[in-house]
Amino acid sequence: MEPQQLIMPGRRSPRADAPNRPRIGIVKFASCDGCQLTLLDLEDELLAVAERVDLVEFAEATSRRSMGPFDVLFVEGSISTAEQVEEIVRLRAVSHRLITIGACATAGGIQAIRNWFELDEVRDTVYPGPTYVESLAQARPVSDFVAVDGELRGCPISPAQLREFLVSMVTGRRAQLPDEAVCLECKRRGVVCVAVADGIPCLGPVTRTGCGAICPAYGRGCYGCFGPRESANTASLAKWFSDSRSAVEVGRLFSGFTAWSEPFRATIDAHGGPPGQRADGSEPRDA
Amino acid sequence: MTGATCFLPRADLDRLFAALRADDRTILGPAVSDGAVIYDEVASPAELPTGWESDTEPGSYRLRETGSSRAFDYVLPVTSWKRYTHPAFVPLTRARRDGSQVEVEAVLDPPPRLAFVGVRACEIAALDIQERAMRAGPIGDADHAGRRDAALVVAMECAAATSTCFCTSMGTGPEVRQGADLIASELDEGFVIRSGSATGAAMLAGLDLEPADPAQVERAAAQVAAVRTRIGDPVAVEGLPERLRAALDSPRWEQVAERCLACANCTLVCPTCFCTSVGVASDLDGQEATTERHWDSCFSLGFGRVAGDANFRPKVKDRYRQWLTHKFSTWFDQFGSSGCVGCGRCVAWCPVGIDVREELAAIAPVEGPRGPIPWPPAPDAGHAPAALTVVAPARHVTTSVVAVTQETADTATLRLATSDAALLAARPGQFVMVELPAFAAPPISISGIRPDGLDLTIRSAGPATAAIVALGPGAQVALRGPLGRGWPLESAAGRDVVIVAGGVGLAPLRPVIEAVLADRARYGAVRLYLGARTPGDRLFAAEVAALAGRSDLEVAEIVDRAGPEWLGQVGIVTHLFDHATWNGDRVTAFVCGPERMMQATAAALTGRGVDPAAIWLTLERNMACGVGTCGHCQLGPFFVCRDGPVFSIAELGTAFGREGL
Repeated sequence: MEPQQLIMPGRRSPRADAPNRPRIGIVKFASCDGCQLTLLDLEDELLAVAERVDLVEFAEATSRRSMGPFDVLFVEGSISTAEQVEEIVRLRAVSHRLITIGACATAGGIQAIRNWFELDEVRDTVYPGPTYVESLAQARPVSDFVAVDGELRGCPISPAQLREFLVSMVTGRRAQLPDEAVCLECKRRGVVCVAVADGIPCLGPVTRTGCGAICPAYGRGCYGCFGPRESANTASLAKWFSDSRSAVEVGRLFSGFTAWSEPFRATIDAHGGPPGQRADGSEPRDA
Repeated sequence: MTGATCFLPRADLDRLFAALRADDRTILGPAVSDGAVIYDEVASPAELPTGWESDTEPGSYRLRETGSSRAFDYVLPVTSWKRYTHPAFVPLTRARRDGSQVEVEAVLDPPPRLAFVGVRACEIAALDIQERAMRAGPIGDADHAGRRDAALVVAMECAAATSTCFCTSMGTGPEVRQGADLIASELDEGFVIRSGSATGAAMLAGLDLEPADPAQVERAAAQVAAVRTRIGDPVAVEGLPERLRAALDSPRWEQVAERCLACANCTLVCPTCFCTSVGVASDLDGQEATTERHWDSCFSLGFGRVAGDANFRPKVKDRYRQWLTHKFSTWFDQFGSSGCVGCGRCVAWCPVGIDVREELAAIAPVEGPRGPIPWPPAPDAGHAPAALTVVAPARHVTTSVVAVTQETADTATLRLATSDAALLAARPGQFVMVELPAFAAPPISISGIRPDGLDLTIRSAGPATAAIVALGPGAQVALRGPLGRGWPLESAAGRDVVIVAGGVGLAPLRPVIEAVLADRARYGAVRLYLGARTPGDRLFAAEVAALAGRSDLEVAEIVDRAGPEWLGQVGIVTHLFDHATWNGDRVTAFVCGPERMMQATAAALTGRGVDPAAIWLTLERNMACGVGTCGHCQLGPFFVCRDGPVFSIAELGTAFGREGL
């Protein structure tokens, strides 16, 4: 048996031989690694988690590598290149359950803003010598390519939700990952509504909860990193925003980390696209 | 208990604070935080929002600094006192699972001794209304009752109003008449104050204040009278519950749903909304677990969800209708008052400024129809809201599995042993919450009542039921119950009994069959009509075969889809009595199955002349608390868990089968 190496090289998990430990993999595509690092944020329970699962692929923490099969594969990042398309199809075939984690994997991420532009235009803007940059025309969520069994939202994902997911996996119960609005969390926490009390535009009413209402708690509006909630009525919220803002400004409010997910995407389109692009081809005011 | 009206100079307000602290109370009152007035701990009068007023509009709240020396002109904070009487998070249970051993115990923390300072007239009404809801029974909520009873209320009559106030219409303010220990009005120079309870009187006596000058009393009265004039009478409440009942199909629901974000803010700022959900937390292995309830809202999709991801209120218009009709109409049926106090928080704190006053006027216009009433005015079968019933912490009884019978591929019957007197006194049709640590507790109807235990027949419809069905003999599981109103067997005495079951719906009817056969002479003809999806989905097959062999009852079975081995009838369950010759007016019917099947059965039975008041069925809803305090299972004026789950068609009226209710 190959040695377990998780964080502390050489430490052997006391329950490494326990039967039925699910084989877990964590892989990434176009993303910043922040979501998979959330696992390491479960500091107090990290070793206990490691005893209960067989972490066979997690490049951020262990040199052990695996091509599969996986009982559960966590996938971070959006799919941005042709190689990534091939790889995600291969991984799906060797994974019993495939769980996407984070805004990039579940919604395309901030890089999906480029989906509104011509690839060459973006590439030339970003890279001084773009010759070797190979990319698909769009950065897209994993679910555009393969079936997904579950998702953890957020940018980054929430340690509490990751823990809840892991516990549900180990105990066999249903993970409690609410699909309701951020507003419920604000009100439960006693956070004063920044939209009503300060007139700050806030996506909380249309965004899925899970973050603990961090942004409103610090006096700023929610920018939707957990993506649309169930019954997200973006049309009504955008109309309310429009009373005191231009269409461009309204579209921009929805153009964040989950801009590519519906109905945020449609709302952006209805307001002239994300910042940087104008229907009439003019330059954005603050470019 | 109102003594003389006294005067408390502004500079002496800290003496009142000191007296409250001397009474071992933490003082809560208004304070400015993050651009709004909230209720929070206030250590001294210096922390009050002196010199602040607020302007509200639909969807907007702004504080304005006036430089005034007055501390209570802010009108209403965003928070309501329910944050302290019905906190956002309340621990419910602690549970342990050690091998096959299971233990669940209720958690009930001692209530904090609090003083609420600055309570408005509308908020006193709200405290009272929510208290009635949480104590309506059959078992009042112990946590809420403890907190409410331990709180001392210092009321402050309004000297200002904002554009979203409408207490005058709802009859709750602005004058404070009762429900407070101390009642004060703020004048520039201080406070006119009187007692409203023995506790308040003693506290006031301890302050040794001068009597108020009659001119001061007059000025205080003029102040609040001006507030009344300013607010006017913005909502026409006369006949409102009846007008709303007649407006269930108004096109306006669809229109407001286009604007409504279903974000739940209105319900969470509402001082009377009491709905909650239960969250489970556990260690990694699910050995140690806790549950807590947290504020939830009928505006979230998950609130109406039941097993198998079915949902009774999938559309936003359903949820808005539930909220509005509950507040202004069915609340009367349930608790004898309106659920709205006119504080206007739902108007101000709606992120898109939906104004409930406008919606009411459009949906239920004054000149609009008031009938027909879709359901009887109030539940009338001995379970009308009982005021202030017994308050007790929940009982969680550990029972042991003594036998497991696999009924179908996904359904098993667990025979549970217990000596708990309350459980053994369960009546046919009642249900229990089945608790396995770390899992959500599903409501399960009792399928057998034995001298030494209960049978539960459970279909594996999700992780929790799957885990329970997987328990073997010797394993333990905790039960909370029995809950709900059972089948009214006594109403069938001397009459013919028709029992119609679809699939797993036979489980709650099995105790009816057993009770009827145990006292067979009490009833006329007894007929069983049993439907199932396939022959393999038939419950209690051996027992049913034995029943079919008896001469004192009739048994007929049918399946939706037959296999090669099935020689019986094929079709829907009502086909079994399409051509029956029995006389409907002698029949009492007991029906359980999928909601569609029950609708078809009820229609077929009434078509045969069975009195709707004699057709009883048991409804499935999202029942979480089982005692009418979490709000999930509401159906029109009913809490299905408390008022049902057994109802007659006549009781339900058009609430039965109505989409989105």
